[in-house]
Amino acid sequence: MSKKIFLLLVFAFFFVIIIFFYLLIIERDPSNLPSQLIEKEVPIFNSKLLFNDEKFISTNEFKNNITLVNFFATWCAPCREEHKYIIELSKDSSIKIIGINYKDNPNKAIVWLKELKNPYSKVITDPKGKIAIDWGVYGIPETFLISSKGIIKYKHVGPINKIVYRKFKKKISNLKKK
Amino acid sequence: MNKSNFLHYTITNFIFSIIVLNIFHFNTFAVEPDEFLIDKKQESRARDISKKIRCLVCQNQSIDDSEAQLAKDLRSIIRVKISEGKKDEEIYKFLTDRYGDFILLNPPIKMSTYALWFLPFIFSLMGIMTIFRHNYKAKKKIG
Repeated sequence: MSKKIFLLLVFAFFFVIIIFFYLLIIERDPSNLPSQLIEKEVPIFNSKLLFNDEKFISTNEFKNNITLVNFFATWCAPCREEHKYIIELSKDSSIKIIGINYKDNPNKAIVWLKELKNPYSKVITDPKGKIAIDWGVYGIPETFLISSKGIIKYKHVGPINKIVYRKFKKKISNLKKK
Repeated sequence: MNKSNFLHYTITNFIFSIIVLNIFHFNTFAVEPDEFLIDKKQESRARDISKKIRCLVCQNQSIDDSEAQLAKDLRSIIRVKISEGKKDEEIYKFLTDRYGDFILLNPPIKMSTYALWFLPFIFSLMGIMTIFRHNYKAKKKIG
């Protein structure tokens, strides 16, 4: 009887060890941070537009098109790197790209967008980083994919590179099919 | 200096440095003076909450200990919410709605975390049981 219990204990112990090593071995990206907002509606926020100081009201914005929301700033070097991919994504006229200029100097941002070209249909200012917190942003650049019903479908933390660009393309075409 | 004198000296030194470090320790937090709320009760509430919130861009640090920009932003949002009269629960909800349970340094007890919380107790119980069983058998053999 006690032998059975002992065997069971040994088995349970090795089971835990195996799970532990399994979790060590499988490919996990530690920078892959959990996101709370996937499959949720876009946060409601109001701010101003970068170019003409007009008011921006989020509830009017996300209902008709597939939208990308990209947090960027001129002081952020990876944002400069990923910019060409955002321009590439903006060539698809059926999607809308909204840029959120995070904790930045508006004048610098305007110059920066003139230099690198402006792929955004609207650029919103977030001078104190409050909108970013509503979107659960860890650090810029971050890019969100939003369905035409205003639901957040995907989020990427960090710059967009070739692989991430293809991922976005694929996800956009999947959304279009629905 | 003989041996016992030297030992005495070292021990006193050691105790003294611990006391000194503990006194001045309070001056070394990351929260900057311009962040403080005027109301002392509110300020201590803000500090309590901040200690339980993970600095998301750091390695296992609370936002109370961190000088990261995001930590600073979250601290200031917590203080704004407190001065708006929000309850602690509402502030935690605000944060977890945006950043998930990951932002809490203590994971909440719920279905998906039962194993995390209770397995250690179960395993230690099993261990204790094994030891008792073993001792009981050994005693029986001797007796």
